[in-house]
Amino acid sequence: MTPVISIINKESGELVRSGRGLVWLTAIALVLSGFSLLLVGNTELSLLDNAQAVYMMMGTVTALGCLLAVALGSDAVAGERERGTLIPLLVTPLSKDMILTGKMGGLAVSWLIIYLISLPYLWAVGSSGQNLLPAVIYLALLGTPVVLGFGFYALILSARMASVRSALATSLITLIFLGAPLVLGPGLRQSQIGKIFDMVNPFAAALNSFDSVVIDSQPPGDQAFRLAIVLIWLILTAWGARRAMRSLQP
Amino acid sequence: MLISVTNARLSIGGSPILEEVNLHMDEGEIYGLLGPNGAGKSSTLSLLTALRQRDGGELSVMGYDPTVEPGIVKRRLGVLAENAGFYGWMSAPEYLRWFAELYGRETTRHEVGDLLIRVGLDPDNAAPIGVWSRGMKQRLGLARALVNEPALLILDEPTNGLDPQGRREIHDLLLDLNRRQGVGILFCTHILDDVTRLCSRIGIIHQGRTVLEGETGALTCTNPNETRYRLSVATPLAGKMLLPDGMTLIEGVGLSYVLALKNHLAPEICWRMLMASGWEIVEIRREERSLEDVYIAAVKGESHDSGHIDN
Repeated sequence: MTPVISIINKESGELVRSGRGLVWLTAIALVLSGFSLLLVGNTELSLLDNAQAVYMMMGTVTALGCLLAVALGSDAVAGERERGTLIPLLVTPLSKDMILTGKMGGLAVSWLIIYLISLPYLWAVGSSGQNLLPAVIYLALLGTPVVLGFGFYALILSARMASVRSALATSLITLIFLGAPLVLGPGLRQSQIGKIFDMVNPFAAALNSFDSVVIDSQPPGDQAFRLAIVLIWLILTAWGARRAMRSLQP
Repeated sequence: MLISVTNARLSIGGSPILEEVNLHMDEGEIYGLLGPNGAGKSSTLSLLTALRQRDGGELSVMGYDPTVEPGIVKRRLGVLAENAGFYGWMSAPEYLRWFAELYGRETTRHEVGDLLIRVGLDPDNAAPIGVWSRGMKQRLGLARALVNEPALLILDEPTNGLDPQGRREIHDLLLDLNRRQGVGILFCTHILDDVTRLCSRIGIIHQGRTVLEGETGALTCTNPNETRYRLSVATPLAGKMLLPDGMTLIEGVGLSYVLALKNHLAPEICWRMLMASGWEIVEIRREERSLEDVYIAAVKGESHDSGHIDN
């Protein structure tokens, strides 16, 4: 087994076996259960159509993935430092790039677990409609870079800041800042600033893409720009994380 | 030479941490790195373990520059950092197997069990490390440092948190590793008893500089060219004492006298000469400075007639 895979196993194993990880998974399952009940109820009462319910479930799963990414990314370096496990890791022959790959590989596996958990819920709210398959594909296609990007972003802060608490707080504020215009309503989004913000905001790009594909049934080719925004977000944060790791001091 | 550090300098955030550190350790030695809190011991270890890069000076660990070849150095290095932590949700055997994988080593359950037994831990203990005592974690840290069968062990306060019996067991383990497997051991400690029992060579760092380095035996003698003896006599000596050439009276209080003999003199002949001149000698003991005396003198910046920096 290569050392990088060992780190991935450890990171993802922590999510499944540690007390903290089990709390996360239980919380995610409870949120998805409650939300899907709500959506199914609204669909039955004809308050929402099926596509809207699927779209909302996709947004919720992406947001939960981002939350998990922020939590894991914030812990990736500052948490190791606080636990006293950073130096033992750094004195192994692993390069900092390998440690970063292992950490992000662990996050990718954790996101995969959330994604798999979300599939039955997506089916529950969207099985009677036509857009379940595009929803499953687009959640993977755009959700994955957004989630990993937030993981990298939190890891940058984790490497630069002294404590998990400060890295987590800053990452959460960023996540809320990027997600808030979507939650606050369409008024802000229709303004010029809102439109520009929407255009460069990776979280908004993913959700707008979900909206276009699942609700408006637009063809995949129309989503190239949004996909590019999301991929640029991923590349920039990955580059930043690599730099932060390389200049990491014990 | 296993470790060679010459005039190493290190700044962190623009503040000079190490200004002139020298450390020279031969193969098979146990080296004690001493110094007050904040003197720069851990920073020195961070240079040796490639955790930080020096601003100047020369550095070689097992023949390699850790800045240039960190992978090669780290592969042959075992490190126990001060206050080193663990993943509390893992069991010890599981953790050691995982840590060995980071070195690209596949370990069997039997090998991990042997390692745990060597450091005095129960190989069948499946409890999560999070519930372990500090002393048990310290032993596990030592097992972790040994997982890659290192040629050089770098230990920061290895006996911290251990009871006297545990400390003795760790001493025995380190001596065994050093004598039977030739593992070089460099360790930082505040416990001078550890150094006295284990170290063949010491270095003292104060305010980012090496203020003293040398063989433990030589440093605890007052002068490498002479040997001091404390003589007890039956009756006080009256009048002026005539001493043979090469013999000096250092101190004389009551019935106790400290004499310094040049190393070329045969002590037995000197004692006979003294007895012939009226000394009623009842006891002769070799007088050595304690390591604590050496340490305090070095840190206070006092001059040493035996202490030296031999680069």
